[in-house]
Amino acid sequence: MAFYKDHYQVIIIGGGLAGMACALQLQAKGVSDILILEKHNLPGGLATSYVRNGVEMEATLHEMMSIGPKEDRLKVGQFFDEMGVDIDWLRVPEAYRFVETEKGIDITLHSGFKKMAHEIEKKYPGWGRKVYDFMNLCNRVYDSMNYLSTHQMGKLKMLKEHPDFVRTLGYTAQQVLDTYHFPEDVQDILKAYWIYVGNPTDTLPFTIFAFLLADYFRGGSYVARGFSHEMSMKMERKVEEQGAQFEFCQEVTKILVKDGRVYGVRTKRGDEIHCDYVVSGAYPNRVYSQMIEPASEVPEGAIKVINAKKLSVCPVSVMMVLDGTPEELGIHDYNIFSTNNMHMDELWANSKTLGPYHYLTSICLNLANPDCCPQGLTQFSITALPLVNAFEGVKEEDYFALKRQLAREMIGTYEKTTGIVIHDKIREIEVETPVTVSHYVGAWKGSIYGYAHDMQDHVVARLQTADSERFIRGLQFAGAHGISGDGMGPQITNGRAAAKGILDSLKEEK
Amino acid sequence: MSGIKVKGFFQDVTGVNRIVKAREESFKEASSVNSQTDPVRALADAIHPDRQVFTVTKVYEASPTARTFRFEPENGHIAPFQCGQYVNFYLTIGSSKVTRAYSISSAPYQARGEKPFFEITIRRNRPYFVPDWFFESVKEGSKVTAALPFSQFYYEPLRDSDHIMALAGGSGITPFASMAKEIAYESTHDDAPYQTLKNVDLTILYGSVKHTDIVCGDQIEEARKQAPDQIHVVHVMSDDPEWEGEKGFVTREIMEKYSTPDMTYFFCGPLPMFNMVKKNLTEMGVPEKRFRHDAIAQPSNVKMIPGFPEDQVGKTYQLTVMRGIQKDVIPAKADEPVAVALERAAIPVDTHCRAGECGFCRSQLLKGSIFVSPLGDGRREMDKEMGWFHACSSYPTSDLTIKIPII
Repeated sequence: MAFYKDHYQVIIIGGGLAGMACALQLQAKGVSDILILEKHNLPGGLATSYVRNGVEMEATLHEMMSIGPKEDRLKVGQFFDEMGVDIDWLRVPEAYRFVETEKGIDITLHSGFKKMAHEIEKKYPGWGRKVYDFMNLCNRVYDSMNYLSTHQMGKLKMLKEHPDFVRTLGYTAQQVLDTYHFPEDVQDILKAYWIYVGNPTDTLPFTIFAFLLADYFRGGSYVARGFSHEMSMKMERKVEEQGAQFEFCQEVTKILVKDGRVYGVRTKRGDEIHCDYVVSGAYPNRVYSQMIEPASEVPEGAIKVINAKKLSVCPVSVMMVLDGTPEELGIHDYNIFSTNNMHMDELWANSKTLGPYHYLTSICLNLANPDCCPQGLTQFSITALPLVNAFEGVKEEDYFALKRQLAREMIGTYEKTTGIVIHDKIREIEVETPVTVSHYVGAWKGSIYGYAHDMQDHVVARLQTADSERFIRGLQFAGAHGISGDGMGPQITNGRAAAKGILDSLKEEK
Repeated sequence: MSGIKVKGFFQDVTGVNRIVKAREESFKEASSVNSQTDPVRALADAIHPDRQVFTVTKVYEASPTARTFRFEPENGHIAPFQCGQYVNFYLTIGSSKVTRAYSISSAPYQARGEKPFFEITIRRNRPYFVPDWFFESVKEGSKVTAALPFSQFYYEPLRDSDHIMALAGGSGITPFASMAKEIAYESTHDDAPYQTLKNVDLTILYGSVKHTDIVCGDQIEEARKQAPDQIHVVHVMSDDPEWEGEKGFVTREIMEKYSTPDMTYFFCGPLPMFNMVKKNLTEMGVPEKRFRHDAIAQPSNVKMIPGFPEDQVGKTYQLTVMRGIQKDVIPAKADEPVAVALERAAIPVDTHCRAGECGFCRSQLLKGSIFVSPLGDGRREMDKEMGWFHACSSYPTSDLTIKIPII
């Protein structure tokens, strides 16, 4: 019985967003002999959904970035359009509400630089103009970043044409923010998204912070009407229509290497399949420490890289279906960031524990997608993004109790901060932890956020040195561990970058 | 030149050199020892293990027509589970490869410690494919392949009332046998590995035909004696003249009689009883969130499935099955789920709940038409729209081409 051909041009490990984007990009450039092997029985990795008692529940933090409205598509939106992946996008109504109890901050910001600056001006008279300037700086960095990630340019020309990008490269988000001398409250409000890039602002590169702020406030964010699963399913269908073989329930355990070059993979069920190129959705940590066969083919440089890199944050998410409409429950905001304080040191220390967590983000999906639930119900989640370390010592017997404790604390904190009562309205509840992520998608230590964006691993430095970090010929990586880092939007970029790597080698080898 | 000034021109424009250098330095200084491990994956694997081999170490009577089978793991490890969850067996019976799920009837604490085990209890009151095999072929010393635990049918303190009414019919008692044993143990042992059910009150309303049909009666009675304040058992006999307790079906009157305010109702049993209980709860004004039920297997009599196209009964279609580039053509009866056709042809298919809910047997319809049972249709909206179906609860209504995972 033969389930596979003897040989494929490209094997992609993992049918997540990055793996599928890689396949689409390759197909667009004429490479069609592709096999995708996915561990789970669904496409999309974490961009999926599940059904509990007849109600479909979103599995992710689920905002898609860099989409933009139809008439002004941003990078990722353009890619989907060009690839013919037709997704029913719904625009998220506001950027966020930010609630900080220590200083009593409570403000809601919408996308659009003018609009959000105006909203800040209303509460902090005299500062709207400066916020607007700051957002425009972020936007210039955003444009430069998008341009330069796909174009080579000399240093002098870069300085001339992208001065703000160049001049802020060497600084942290905090250092650049400080030059604006904002009042503390305004700074705190602007920092609310910090957790979405998983690093405190005093070690977070400004480039990344600016990119994130501009992306959210310029284009707004989007969700698919049919949940993240719609995006994943439509990508998968397109990839298959264009001739790729896509197999579910196939975990790749080994990447076969000879004389410094990949030649195939082996799956958990024992199939050995040969190919010219491998794109790994598995983290470099897993690949270099466990998957390369023989292990003697792992270069020392690769080990040094995985030992030097720090993992970013991981999710603890309480996902609920609540009895009652958002209105009946008193939930008026799609997204609330809430915290008792904005002292980065303290929040960062808190994120290294097993809770109770202080910095929470809540999402009410109904407010972006009113049809996400049967009538009279609300889909609601509360998420903390801690570091994985504290989870490494959890015992299996204690795991269920820990999940419940975390959920109870997070619900309690949310209720206390917002005054909205939900604990007695729970109809369905699931608690997602790094262990959940590890089980379903196999991500290293359950990390959804790839490697920490800090000044030792700056995204632009990653781009500059990418070539010298291809340790094994024919092996590319595509996932949150890629250069662009975490988030569903960046996964599309990471997947395309992996495709570009293969296309470049194909050209060279010709 | 316009633009921001952070610390001064020279300092600003040389940032790129600094970040590249910082990155290179961090790699240079890093250890070159290849020793990374992933304890989170180890924990995930311990909680969700793959299929394992188990040895049957005890078989004993659970009623005149039911037997309890005890299983011990060859590798010494059983994943933590919660009362109400099931174990999925992977069996070869004759020329068929089949999977079957059975609720665990032993308690979670019994799967910890030095000699961990779990038990299932099967009733065979009439000849039936898989129960027959268990009764005839599984003895002490037999080895079977199984995976556990699965399902969301368990007490969730974040959601459920700590006053539970268990509504059981026939062999649907097994999840509640597990629950009763665990309550008894937790409430009498401060060092119990789990404390989830310590303070839970459990009232079991158990419907049988005759008292000789009661499954796990002794096991539950033993638990009740240990925690008489927490566990209450009410048997209801539908056709037993000798019985002196409650008689008839599990009616609204009986349910109301034993209910206390704000209970969570758990149901496990056959489809007709499910329909009755659901109706009773609605009439009693019990909110939907207070009703939890186990997956209810698709009835083998398709006439019980609402909307089943009756003209299909007796027809056989051609089923083309794609697994990767492998193509097999097999027959498929119109009144059997697609999964059964695969099992008869010994094509492995990973069914679990066999109720349409859990999605393990999610498959792709490439050509042809199917009837999907509306009982427990657990598909995602996009799956419905894009032609994906659950093989355990979908019936062919034409020749079909499908794609399933390679197992």
